[in-house]
Amino acid sequence: MNNYLEQLQNVYRNDDDFCTRQIDCGVSVTIAFLDSMCSDIKISNYVVEPMLYGEGSTDFAEIKKRLTAGAVVKEVANFFDVVDVISNGHTVVFVGENCLSVDTRTTIARAIVEPPTSMVMRGPREGFIEDAKTNLTLIRKRLKTSDLKVTTLNVGKYTNTTVYVCYICTIADDKVVNKVIQQVKKINIDGVLDASYITRYIDQNKTALFRRVGMTEKPDVAVGKMLEGRVAIIVDGSPMVLTVPYLYVEDLQSPGDYYEDHTMTSLNRLLRFVSVLASVLLPSLYVCLQMYNYQIIPLKFLITVLNATQAIPFSPLAEMILIIVIFDILREANLRMPSAVGISLSLVGAIVLGDAAVKAGLIGAPAVMIGALSGIGLFTMPDNTLILSLLRLAITFIAGMMGILGVILSMMMILFYLCSMQGYHTPFLAPFTPPMENDKQDAVMNKPLTQWTKRPKSIPNKNQTRRGK
Amino acid sequence: MNKDKVTVGQFALLLLLVTSGSKFLSLPSILAGDVGHDSWLVLCVAFLWDGVCLAFLGWALKLNQQNHLSLDKILRTTLTPIVEKLVLLVFFVLFVTRSIVLLNSCYRMFAVTFDVSTNWIMFVLPIVAVSFFAIARGFVSIARVGQLMCALIVLCIVALLSFTVRQTDFGGLLPIAEAGWNNIIKTAFDRCFWFADYIFVYFVMENLHIKKRTFAPIFASFAVGVVLTVAMNAIFVALFGSIAPEIKLAMSKISVFSVSETTNGRWDWLTLSVWIMSVLIKIVIFIYCAYKSGEKLFGLHFTKPNVWAILVIALLLMTPLLISAETIVQDFMTKLLVPFAVVQYILPLSLPLLTTIANKKMTVEVPNE
Repeated sequence: MNNYLEQLQNVYRNDDDFCTRQIDCGVSVTIAFLDSMCSDIKISNYVVEPMLYGEGSTDFAEIKKRLTAGAVVKEVANFFDVVDVISNGHTVVFVGENCLSVDTRTTIARAIVEPPTSMVMRGPREGFIEDAKTNLTLIRKRLKTSDLKVTTLNVGKYTNTTVYVCYICTIADDKVVNKVIQQVKKINIDGVLDASYITRYIDQNKTALFRRVGMTEKPDVAVGKMLEGRVAIIVDGSPMVLTVPYLYVEDLQSPGDYYEDHTMTSLNRLLRFVSVLASVLLPSLYVCLQMYNYQIIPLKFLITVLNATQAIPFSPLAEMILIIVIFDILREANLRMPSAVGISLSLVGAIVLGDAAVKAGLIGAPAVMIGALSGIGLFTMPDNTLILSLLRLAITFIAGMMGILGVILSMMMILFYLCSMQGYHTPFLAPFTPPMENDKQDAVMNKPLTQWTKRPKSIPNKNQTRRGK
Repeated sequence: MNKDKVTVGQFALLLLLVTSGSKFLSLPSILAGDVGHDSWLVLCVAFLWDGVCLAFLGWALKLNQQNHLSLDKILRTTLTPIVEKLVLLVFFVLFVTRSIVLLNSCYRMFAVTFDVSTNWIMFVLPIVAVSFFAIARGFVSIARVGQLMCALIVLCIVALLSFTVRQTDFGGLLPIAEAGWNNIIKTAFDRCFWFADYIFVYFVMENLHIKKRTFAPIFASFAVGVVLTVAMNAIFVALFGSIAPEIKLAMSKISVFSVSETTNGRWDWLTLSVWIMSVLIKIVIFIYCAYKSGEKLFGLHFTKPNVWAILVIALLLMTPLLISAETIVQDFMTKLLVPFAVVQYILPLSLPLLTTIANKKMTVEVPNE
């Protein structure tokens, strides 16, 4: 074991964070730890103090017995494990030929607060934080059952990031669980800095335009999904917990939906669905109508539109593309700006770019209205709006080139794409296609919670009954 | 995941879409030219025969659940490989020809109704590109899109027809069978090219999974398709009377009756845009079948979508640049009427027997292997 100590000193040479200390407790004992990863108080209370203040002993078993104050004390058999436990904040105690590790990790974590990305009017306000263990606690606090199983994996050659794969063993399908564990084990990467790194590896379709792994910052959402048979993946260092399998309809579901009245939830979801559809299609239909099919527009409305657009120097296509691009630039800039500057930016966008451009006769008021409506409408969807924003731009361009045929063909292409997507034995567009009537209880329309007697069929699970017989 | 797997429900809904999809374009005026206001009876006769063939086809599909054989394998096992190749060749020509005719109707529909004036190449290429994309994603994507859009498309057709029906004088359909039943039956046979839309199932039959007593959705969908098509045709001839043969695109003119232009604008175009998706889905299915029949014809098995094969089909779809689509309909189809009728009507009738024989042969072969 002294050999291990030498090797360890060799591995951590030139690293001032690595500390060793000799203690005489009847026999010479060396402890080794990384200063930044360990709590001084824990080292003092769980390691040094128990050894110093007992009777002198040369027996390893006796020394091990004294260290029982530590939460996790275990013997370490090989050198790789020694390095591993030291890297994770344990203190390693070398006693003659034997080696013990004592959990002395320091806990540096921010407070549990409401996540800024998923604020709710009603419902729990706790959010995940960057510490995986705390996140696991938040889940376990809500799932007080021995059926909750956790598989711990380490990913990243240098970061050695802890990844917890959590599932309810009596609900989640074994095939899905095994597939997820396999996919995580297969990850060969030098570092994992966030859960999004893992997303790219567990998504089986590498060229997917749409995200196929769920991400949530709320423990109640993660638990809700696990109760439907999904697997949750907690990544140390990330406040996002991943869930698989993922359905497209989840993009329309907001965490607050489950704490509101089901009628209101249904109306809100319907509104989101319609506004997202309108946001993607409105600019392209406007361009189509302006360039090719103005006969469709009612006469009075057509006169108003013509009056507003006749002096515009750009074609309807160029005008609309300009507005969408400006909107996307403002949105992207707003994300990066500090909140105080962000407000100024919104004002600049709204007043200078919008109003002034209309007054200068560069763009028409109807186009600004359509562009703004389309831009805002997309944000009614709780998540995953960026790809729709890009698709909106592409469809608008095609509509300008090909008219209504282009819009129809673009929509068909998107539908063919979405309909063919499948991950972890789950069709992406379920429960709409293939249709699963029972699952529609929580799709766009929301049934009362008391009527949810079955778990969704679209998510593979081994226990269909949610409640009742 | 089997990318070409199709369920009975999906097949049923696709059948509904393809049955009614294209028959609202140029067929009503052709039939009106042949038998006047009795054209809806031609449809009834043709659909009756289609129904009989569909029943036999359904029987064959049920028998095929034993070994899930593909059409080419059934033909090769029971008849000779030469017959197999001949049948596949006829299918290839049939699907390409039907795609051309459909594309031509669509082309005119977009030019007349939607003011999309482009040339044939620029019209066909995007549709071929979408079809190729669908082929690459597998038949399951087509089947699911059909499933997703079916209710909306049917709703649009019903909306268009129900608005129009208030202005229709059905007295124009009397007297019934004025053209004579012989003439009606003969026209039904002469125009059989437009019917037997179930033939696409030949190229997905090995991936179709049928459970017990699941034929009801197939026949229900077929019946809905038939009712919509016959109703539309009856409304068309009742509305336009003696000038019906001159109305080359039935749906775009019928829809004119469904709204008031001055107050609401032409909102019927919105429903037309949704309905046209059923025609495009039908074109995609036929291009898929042409691709598959070509693949089997040359004994190839593409593990990935083959660009060259789709290019050949795209080139063949450019035929109207050389021969007008009307000439194809009038001359080419008349000459090929019999081979087309064989694969459309004789093959489904004999398929249960062929499948039974093929199943037996396969059962005998397995122990020897």
